[in-house]
Amino acid sequence: MSVTGITEPDLGLEVVRRRGDRARGFIARGLGRSDGRVGVAILAVFAVLAIAPSLFVGPLQTVVTATGSSLEGPSSAHLLGTDEAGRDVLNLTVHGARISMTIGLMATLITIVIGSLVGIVSGYVGGFVDTVLMRISDFFLVLPTIVLALILAPIILDIIGPEAEFAGIRATLLVIVVVIGVTSWATTARIIRSQVLSLKERMFVDRARVIGASSLQIMWRHIMPNVVNLIVAQAVLTFATAVFTETTLAFIGLGDPTAPSWGELLNSAQSSGAPGLGAWWYIAPPAVSVVLVVVSFTLVGNALDDLLNPRTRRR
Amino acid sequence: MRTSQSRRAAGLLATLALTGGALLAGAAGPVAAADPVVLSVGTTQDLDASNPFNTELVVGYEAFALTYSLLVDFDKDTHAAPGFADTWERAADRVTFKIGDNRKWSDGEPATSEDACFSWGLALAAIADESYIGSGYLDPGVKDAGVTKIECPDANTFIAYTADPSDRIFQVYVPILPKHIWGELDYTKIAEETFDAPLVGTGPYTLAEWKTGQFARFVRNPNFWGKQGFADEVVLRFYADNTDTMVQALKNGELDYVHGVNADQFKQLQGDTATYTAVAGAANGWTQLAFNTYGTGTGKTIKGGGASTKALQDAAFRDALGYAVDKQVLVDRVLGGFGDLGDTVVPPVLTDYHVTPDTVRTFNIDLAKQKLDTAGYVLDSAGKRLDKEGKPINLRLYYPNTDDNYKKVAQFVQEWYGQLGIAVTHQSFDSDTLTALLLPPESGEDGALAKYDIELWGWSGSPDPNGLLYVFLCDQIGTSSDSNYCNKEYDDLYALESKQGGAERKATLSQMQNLIYDEAPYDVLYYDANLDVYRNDRFAGWQNMPSNGTPFFTYGTLNYTLLTDATAVPTPGPTVVATAGATAAPGATTTPTATQPPSTGGTSSGGNMTPVILLAAVAAIVLGGWWFMRRRKGPAVEEE
Amino acid sequence: MSAGYFVRKLAQALVTIFAIIILNFVLFRLMPGSPERATRNPHLTAELIAQNRARWGLDKPLFPDQLVNYVQETLTGDLGYSIKYRGQPVVDVVLEAAGPTILLIGLGELVAIVVGLAIGARSGWSRGGIGDRIGNGLSLIFYSMPYFVIGMPLIIIFAAGLHWFPTSGMTTPGGNKDLFATLWDLGRHLVLPLATVSIGLIGAYSILMRASIIDTRAEDYITTARAKGLSDGRILRSHAFPNALLPMVTLIAINLGYVVAGAITAEIVFTWPGLGTLTVQALDARDYPLLQALFLLVAVSVVLANFLADLVYGYLDPRVRA
Repeated sequence: MSVTGITEPDLGLEVVRRRGDRARGFIARGLGRSDGRVGVAILAVFAVLAIAPSLFVGPLQTVVTATGSSLEGPSSAHLLGTDEAGRDVLNLTVHGARISMTIGLMATLITIVIGSLVGIVSGYVGGFVDTVLMRISDFFLVLPTIVLALILAPIILDIIGPEAEFAGIRATLLVIVVVIGVTSWATTARIIRSQVLSLKERMFVDRARVIGASSLQIMWRHIMPNVVNLIVAQAVLTFATAVFTETTLAFIGLGDPTAPSWGELLNSAQSSGAPGLGAWWYIAPPAVSVVLVVVSFTLVGNALDDLLNPRTRRR
Repeated sequence: MRTSQSRRAAGLLATLALTGGALLAGAAGPVAAADPVVLSVGTTQDLDASNPFNTELVVGYEAFALTYSLLVDFDKDTHAAPGFADTWERAADRVTFKIGDNRKWSDGEPATSEDACFSWGLALAAIADESYIGSGYLDPGVKDAGVTKIECPDANTFIAYTADPSDRIFQVYVPILPKHIWGELDYTKIAEETFDAPLVGTGPYTLAEWKTGQFARFVRNPNFWGKQGFADEVVLRFYADNTDTMVQALKNGELDYVHGVNADQFKQLQGDTATYTAVAGAANGWTQLAFNTYGTGTGKTIKGGGASTKALQDAAFRDALGYAVDKQVLVDRVLGGFGDLGDTVVPPVLTDYHVTPDTVRTFNIDLAKQKLDTAGYVLDSAGKRLDKEGKPINLRLYYPNTDDNYKKVAQFVQEWYGQLGIAVTHQSFDSDTLTALLLPPESGEDGALAKYDIELWGWSGSPDPNGLLYVFLCDQIGTSSDSNYCNKEYDDLYALESKQGGAERKATLSQMQNLIYDEAPYDVLYYDANLDVYRNDRFAGWQNMPSNGTPFFTYGTLNYTLLTDATAVPTPGPTVVATAGATAAPGATTTPTATQPPSTGGTSSGGNMTPVILLAAVAAIVLGGWWFMRRRKGPAVEEE
Repeated sequence: MSAGYFVRKLAQALVTIFAIIILNFVLFRLMPGSPERATRNPHLTAELIAQNRARWGLDKPLFPDQLVNYVQETLTGDLGYSIKYRGQPVVDVVLEAAGPTILLIGLGELVAIVVGLAIGARSGWSRGGIGDRIGNGLSLIFYSMPYFVIGMPLIIIFAAGLHWFPTSGMTTPGGNKDLFATLWDLGRHLVLPLATVSIGLIGAYSILMRASIIDTRAEDYITTARAKGLSDGRILRSHAFPNALLPMVTLIAINLGYVVAGAITAEIVFTWPGLGTLTVQALDARDYPLLQALFLLVAVSVVLANFLADLVYGYLDPRVRA
């Protein structure tokens, strides 16, 4: 969806200020909003869990190291009960935070890098390059990530084989990351591009051009710092989408069964009959975690985004 | 115009609300009275083919056995019973079958010995060509029974000449197909037929409709000459990878019978004896790890396919792996106790033939490591086990998506082999896809490369042990063999025991069981019970077949015709439960239910609590959302 | 709307559709074992496979022969044969599954649009009020819930728990029901999946409608209307609501693709025999011809929906019309 216009009057005027400062000030203002604060608080909790899950719940339990018996209800030994293999659900959910958030983070990085590059280049260079890039982004914009991912993921897996590993990351995980990243950059690219289009006409860009700066320099030194806010806001929103998409793909069965992300846990819960057995403790923790994280990211993202653009957009 | 728009919207809402309310109100009420009686059966397998020669799944056997009679059927003790033939007479070199007069196919055409000659003739033609029909699962039975020639001197007589005097001819699972429909086809062409519904058969119920991945519907065959079933229709519904939905459908009364629930579900349903009867049928089969030993005994290789390491061809390697699997843990943790530890390839239910291996492997990781070292498979500096080519061993373990237990087993195996320094990646597939993946070039399929290392799957056999033992024959590579194992000595022993009887046969079978156990192309993990559950409220007259088995998905389809109307019987509940109660524990081999009462009580009350807990959770979310939104009020307004 | 605008949008849509076909072709040929892979299908006879090889030009070079062949076949509606569905033409298989999905999604969209717009409009109109807080809070939560997370508790409560509705499927197989009984049966099966899809969609519509109403509320004509002494409800209904609807048109059309994608997970939970369940079957069976046809169908309908949205938008919004 395209952005109708940038309304913030002060954008792009204070070029002298350093990039980092601007972003920081902007984030601080975003967090000044209470919904943004709540979002950040929830995310902070999950971030801490994701960074050091073993600190809180010990190492990831496997079927062999499981400490309980099949589908035990919550007790003092297992605060959130156990899964069908006797693993502690709390343990799995906390470790799931790490896997889900890592996938989300990596996918977001890919999305943002591609999106920003395309947006800046397309907006600044214009002409034929712009047309081609925008037609490509049209394609990805129109097609829903999940539909593209559904056909891409199994084919890529088939080509490289599910047992392949890259830098210690299993192919099944990596494919999900790449597929999410490659299919969801178009929105970011569009938003950045329209911002760059207006920046291009500003005085400071002209001045830089006059003193002989190359296009690359201008894009990096002058354009980039002025869209970094937008990038941050987009990254936060993208993260929410990425976690959501990962959950869905894993639930459908395209995840890595050895890496219990939240989607994978929900998939196992469903296939082991937990809903019918009334094992709510197996379903609720991963489901609530997903919803909490997605809501929080959306809140923070919207808070940041509202500063730049009062319109909300779809997932 | 604009106001009318929103009014229309309101009208629509009201309509929807009304419809919803009406649906709700009527939902609990009884359905129209004149409905036909439908017996609904759920299974976790997804029917793969309605052509009997192309199915490889238990559900496929069930489907074709409902439609087509076998020459000789099975009674409730799995002994020979009248099927397509009424009577038979055994002579030294032949069996003469008599088929009754005025028998008809479901389309009214006469059913005669010609149909039997046609059907068995297909199998014999394939055997004569040293080939097989379709997936090659049915015709070996004819060969295995020692049938050399068949004759149909008149419409009522079918004579089969046999090379050995065994009873296996009465267990041949070749359906009698209508010659007036398929008669023009030879054995290669029949395998290409799709057998589209509706089908013409002589069985109790014939296939009327098949929605791939959803259900197969069978209608009662008015021309069936056995007892006419009480149900007007039988529907097999497929729940691949979805036992949860299946069990919920059973609880909701949408299904009368479910086949293949997991241990947790079984225990929960077992607790409610008023509504359900839970049957843990002793398995005439097992779950195994089949190693891809392609090349063993043949020296062949597959370009661009086969196993990822030559180590799998080495019996010493496979033997060592056997010490790294704790079968007791698998039975306890995966099966919830409903099964027996696996050893040989003759299941213990075949008490006459099963032996305990001479050298039993017991769980001992250190011993496994030591054996691997001795066999020349050493660790590298990174702790990875290397094969003799110096390549780290990474094994691909594949299993079908029909059983949740496979996924758990795969995780255990991955852990245990991992402790030996052997990496395992596992993945599940649709049954059809998995079969295609396992087949070697011998199958003649385009692109069949046997590209796997370990297959985790299972077999279920026939009352004679040969039904499972033939899987290891050299000539099964490309059809039913999933280990691609070939051993001349085994083939010879098989030929020998097929002609033997009594103690002699038992001795040979013992030798064969030990041979396969020691060579270990298979690691038989456990003999898993079939966990089936049925409702007591609609149908009565359930019969376990045999007495330690399950009512359906066993041999023959007798039970489908035995069922009666449960609501018509004055006291249906107690009698049914009593029968089933005696058989609920699967024979003397398993004692899964000893500690059941407390845990099932807990689970079932948990089941009743679930809606309440979930409603509470929803309420909590709503309240949380409200609280949360209240907090954001002030600043949000200022922002714009 | 000018002819130029129409032509430009039409060209864009056609280019995208063409790109989708090319992508389909490339993916198809990228797979290991191609082109043999394309014809490997245990359910086809040797003759049929040979026929296909010849027809698809698999023994000719990839470019241009195979590509041209592929585009031709696709445009004439020949997408090959399904593996899972025993050699049936995939077009037939896909079309059969399209009905249930259209029914479910169509009704789901309808309910979600009506309810979502109503909630969003109320929320935005009384911004900051208690109704807004609850409405907007719930919308955000629903918006963040994957469909299967909504569907699972619904089954547990209303099907397995209270036995009000069936757990799965679209019809009860068996029996010879009359028209009313058939519809009744369908209706009962439809309730829970429909609720799931609607709840999943309400969030997006309500959030956007709220923002749209808030924007509208600040416009001059609303102030004018208020100055004229019109009642608050009246202003919302006859002035703010219709104007706030404009951006929604685009959203609804664009959303279609996402709806189909999301419906996949809703369908799985209820084993609803539509495109979603079919997609998962195709995935499990690695039935690539079927998967590709599904992809093509969804992608093309999304492109067409977008094209329609552009047209409607162009028609409604005077700024674009020029």
